[in-house]
Amino acid sequence: MVFTLSVNGDRLASTADPVTPLVDVLREEFHLTGAKPVCREGFCGACMVLVDGKPAPSCLMPVALAADCEIRTVEGLAGGGTLNPIQQALETCDAVQCGMCFPGMVVTLTHLLTTTSGATRDDIRAALTGNICRCTGYERIIDAAVLALAAT
Amino acid sequence: MADVSATMDLRRRDASDKLRGRTRYTIDRYLPGMLHAAVLRASVPAGRIVRLDTARATRMPGVHAVVTAADAPGKIGIGIADHPLFARDVIRYDGEPLAAVAAGTLAQAQAALAAIEVEIAPLPALLTMAEALAPEAPLVHPDWREHEILLEGGARAGNVAWEATVVRGDVDGAFARTDVEIVESTFRVGRQNHVAFEPRAVVADYEDGRFHIETSTQVPWTVRNATARLLGIAPSQVRVTVPPVGGGFGLKFDLAIEPFAALLARASGRPVRLVNSREEEMLTCLFRENAEIRIRSAVTREGEIVGREAVVLMDCGAYGGEQIFLTTMTAHTLGGNYRLGSVRLVSRAVYTNTAPNGAFRCCNGVYNTFALERHTDEIAERIGMDPLAFRRRNVLGDGDLGATGQVFEGDVLGPMLHRMDTLRDAAAPPRALADGRLYGRATTVGTWFVFVGPSAATVNMNADGTATLVTSGVEIGSGSMMQSLPQIVASTLGIPPETVIVRAADTDAAGYDVGVGGGRTTVSLGAASLSAAQEVRTKLLKVASDLIEAAPDDLVMREGRIEIAGAPGSGRTIAEVAARAQAQIGPISGTGAFTGAGVQAMPGCVAGHFIGAIDIPIFAVHDCEVAVDPETGHVEVLAYRVVQDVGRALNPRAIQGQIQGGVVQGLGYALHEEVTIGANGRVCQNGFETYRVPLAQDVVPVEISLYEGAPSIGPLGTKGAGEVPILNVGAAVACAVANATGKRVQELPLTPPRVLELLLDRKQDIALPHIAAAWADNLVRPHNQPDRS
Repeated sequence: MVFTLSVNGDRLASTADPVTPLVDVLREEFHLTGAKPVCREGFCGACMVLVDGKPAPSCLMPVALAADCEIRTVEGLAGGGTLNPIQQALETCDAVQCGMCFPGMVVTLTHLLTTTSGATRDDIRAALTGNICRCTGYERIIDAAVLALAAT
Repeated sequence: MADVSATMDLRRRDASDKLRGRTRYTIDRYLPGMLHAAVLRASVPAGRIVRLDTARATRMPGVHAVVTAADAPGKIGIGIADHPLFARDVIRYDGEPLAAVAAGTLAQAQAALAAIEVEIAPLPALLTMAEALAPEAPLVHPDWREHEILLEGGARAGNVAWEATVVRGDVDGAFARTDVEIVESTFRVGRQNHVAFEPRAVVADYEDGRFHIETSTQVPWTVRNATARLLGIAPSQVRVTVPPVGGGFGLKFDLAIEPFAALLARASGRPVRLVNSREEEMLTCLFRENAEIRIRSAVTREGEIVGREAVVLMDCGAYGGEQIFLTTMTAHTLGGNYRLGSVRLVSRAVYTNTAPNGAFRCCNGVYNTFALERHTDEIAERIGMDPLAFRRRNVLGDGDLGATGQVFEGDVLGPMLHRMDTLRDAAAPPRALADGRLYGRATTVGTWFVFVGPSAATVNMNADGTATLVTSGVEIGSGSMMQSLPQIVASTLGIPPETVIVRAADTDAAGYDVGVGGGRTTVSLGAASLSAAQEVRTKLLKVASDLIEAAPDDLVMREGRIEIAGAPGSGRTIAEVAARAQAQIGPISGTGAFTGAGVQAMPGCVAGHFIGAIDIPIFAVHDCEVAVDPETGHVEVLAYRVVQDVGRALNPRAIQGQIQGGVVQGLGYALHEEVTIGANGRVCQNGFETYRVPLAQDVVPVEISLYEGAPSIGPLGTKGAGEVPILNVGAAVACAVANATGKRVQELPLTPPRVLELLLDRKQDIALPHIAAAWADNLVRPHNQPDRS
């Protein structure tokens, strides 16, 4: 069986078993390794992608369910050669350390930025509940979100 | 000296790719023709292998190679070589490797594992240190006498894998004095999982008769040497390279899964990829070890500590691993902080039938500091002294002796406490909480030290005016390789730090290095890099002096030019000089090497230690405010402040990022992170659902003050800054909770059920009956006696 997926605007075909997690198809078939399969339980958010515009952990989504959806991964979030506003803010705030959680962080925060105005630090903390970072202690990430929200 | 300050606000060059998802960690590497590997692991904590038959597995679809203990003859370890790659005859922990398979797909490899026929006769398992130290306990290593000894001097016997002692002065005399109070405290802590986001991962190949191992590690040279030892080959037959590492925290400071992939690559003739599953990472993590501590002090009513003794039991799990070395650190983390009269300490690594433990950020230090600071508060309470006043009176200062008799230089902790007073007093005053929660605050001190050890660096000056720094350093996320090292080279050569290219670690290209950990990167690799850059500078100035017709001493290097001092715009660009040099005398390069200065302990004071004294002590003062819910036992951290001794801050913003992150990791340790072992010998927390790390909603912004100017042999006065932030978080939270509740806190983490038990007086004092009442009865051999083991 062949699935056709829309990923970052491209139509891509997959022959994976229908129950294969989307993250594995993205990484192993399409070599889009931005999404990271860290916990495979839907807790850490490192594999977060936008599915029809909403953040979803790609480790919990069978590829068959993604077939008719618009998928956007971290690789598809930077516009052309430039970083998007949250990526720019995260760079400006020196928020990145090991970086493994950041593809998922960028997905969640990009969604927050495009759907919310006037979010407080507490709102941002709440939005990040599904994205765990083991390195930074979060504050720089929240600083960056505040900066990016202020600029939009 | 450099003409340009090395202190910079340099942003990380690796941020943009990490934010785009472009960075290729080891888990993201795919090679053409690559096979996928999986490891068969034991599912009992102790047993004898009756039969292990791989014949059926080798015939499974897609299988290219199967390897077992017969393929890896050596054993590895620190101090003693007790650890084989695969269980041989005997299984010592749940999860111990039995065989490994490489196949076309991961599913095929896993199917082949299921086809390996294994018959195991279970043996009684020792799951706790109390069981392991019982008089008639079976031995985890019945053959312990036959282990090769790699470092002489550690006492060993039975289930005591290693023992390190400190004895200085007349402790019995101190405890016998009539003018002292004797305060005794006991503590227990559980295991902590690093939860590095990138699991341990490797891609190995066998090329032209040598192994090439690409791996997620902090210690490329350890991987090289230890792999060779296990496989019974020369270390020079192994090349290790390291892509960006997705988090380490000490988890990757040891050999991991690399030899399995190497063996399978040689056997199959194909590249082999092996990535631990998250469950494997949770169950066989090399956790921060669980520990049990008894500490006693003899203290005068005026607050002088005249005698101290302690017994520290460190669970090393089934193999000695890092804990053998970490026994050394008790002398500095438990014997540090305060001036002591006489002292005797014993630190014992104890074998159990559990997954091996390892190094974790401020290893050994976090729980010893927790114990020492809680003990300090108990002393202050007993003699009726304010705990902060007691600390101010006793913290180590200039000329004071450490536990091992080394002489400390400089007054550091005293002024840092004063700095914290200012920081704390500037904050809002203590408040009675309107919601009925109990308020507590505490200030604690901590002493850490940089593992110094050998490092090497080469700086190649390129004809375009850039420089390439070649080391075995690894970027694990701390930014040392992205910020401090290029800053040091750039400031020495007067070029922009963005033009210093940092070569990824490659043991074929760069010299030996102990590894990235313990806060040593900026110090050891930084010193080697500084030395290499200075050699380049000297050579460039000599070439320039001919070109510019000025003496080298009259020249400066700044903003990409070599100029006559005081005449901006004179001279030539560095690129011009480098290009001229390349044409006339050949390319310019410099090499640098560094190792510890070798500070001395008092003769005869220590036994079984890997180092006797501290080259670079690092101090920290932490202050914490908490609210405790008396109904639920939940602890909320209201405010957190850190004064950290950094020697000299090359990149303050980068250091502050490390402090925020380290404190939050410490809050997890203090409040909810704990790995436990079930009755079946298996780790109970097998994923993120059962092991909870701090979330964005759990944390507070840390108020930070960097304390500069303390003595350091580090380059430009630096000390390591990334390791230390976690050191006294457990201590600060525990003391604050004790102050809030008025109860005796003896255990971490302070989960709501545990705090509620304390509040309801349902928690009995922790008794450690397997620690003998008389200190000397806890020793394998009397201190300073010849090793008869």
